[in-house]
Amino acid sequence: MPSLKSILIAGLLTGLSCEAASAHAVWFAQRSRQTALIYGVGADDLDAVKRFSFIEKMTGYDADYQPMPATPRIAGPIVLVDTDQQPTLLSVVFFNGVWSRVDGEFVKGGRDEHPDATLAEKNYKYSVSIQGPLSKPIPALADQVLQIVPAGPIPEQHGANLTYRVLYKGKPVAGAKVINDLINDPDQKPQTSSADGTVTFPVRNQGLNVIQAVYNGPTDDAKKYDHIESTATLSFTLAHEPE
Amino acid sequence: MKFTINAALALALSALISAPVVAHGFTKPQHGGIVTTSGETLFELVAKPAGTQLYVIDDDEPVAASGMAATLSTQVGGGVKTIPLKPAAGNRFDGPALKLKPGAKVAVMVIDKASKARLGGTFVIK
Repeated sequence: MPSLKSILIAGLLTGLSCEAASAHAVWFAQRSRQTALIYGVGADDLDAVKRFSFIEKMTGYDADYQPMPATPRIAGPIVLVDTDQQPTLLSVVFFNGVWSRVDGEFVKGGRDEHPDATLAEKNYKYSVSIQGPLSKPIPALADQVLQIVPAGPIPEQHGANLTYRVLYKGKPVAGAKVINDLINDPDQKPQTSSADGTVTFPVRNQGLNVIQAVYNGPTDDAKKYDHIESTATLSFTLAHEPE
Repeated sequence: MKFTINAALALALSALISAPVVAHGFTKPQHGGIVTTSGETLFELVAKPAGTQLYVIDDDEPVAASGMAATLSTQVGGGVKTIPLKPAAGNRFDGPALKLKPGAKVAVMVIDKASKARLGGTFVIK
């Protein structure tokens, strides 16, 4: 019979996991025919321009996964992506700062600024977008500390199962919290990646699919934050029927 | 019975209303090449012994090549080669002749020099 203490700890951990899995993310999507970098969750397409300086790195990749320049550009209220060639992949590294939970609310700054915080974390967000047909499996990309890769071919029709592998520092990781549709079902109960880093979901949309994984890694500055939360998305599109 | 007729009318109207919304026009090659689409943009690739041609139509309107910069990228000899295409007459861009094998992927991008807007797509050679 589990002790009261173990039940309380399990409950606390569950609460922390769910909260992390519902965090905001970044992903790539079309806006008025252009490729944009989106910051948000669900239908909330939030102010990416205000957070433009959080973009640490953006890269395009050709069909051989060789890098090409990709440059974020502010265009009115949104952030667009400029490449000189049609990329097969786009990726971004986005530093979302250090946050602490004080009196139940998240506030900016670490434990050094908020000594009474019940939680302090450093947030990085990563995203990979599939922009063209793939010739071979997507490799671990050097700048994506947390990355989701398809473990098999992407089906043409929604509803078919697809297995994904979650990589942390290039290696499969167990324990990442993964949801299947950040845009249309952001509050779904996450699956946890297994020992080989995999999770399997039915592909949900005959359109844009954004898969999200969240994983807490060890801190590199225990005085300021308890862990480093990495949030990764993988986005791809299933084509609709010709019109 | 009145309800049935009304329902049928509503269905018919619904069909009429939705039809134009999903129609995007051109989906077939106009120059004997192969096509790929991205949204309402149609790219047509024509491979000729003398050279490669790319035609671009956007929302049923030809895209004036003179105002655009275009590139074509494809896997050649174990690597991806990117080739700038020259604006030609109308909505055509010209490049060198390419030997494209089945399964080859040809990525194209055209960039509006004034607005920086990009249109891109990828052909898979069959």
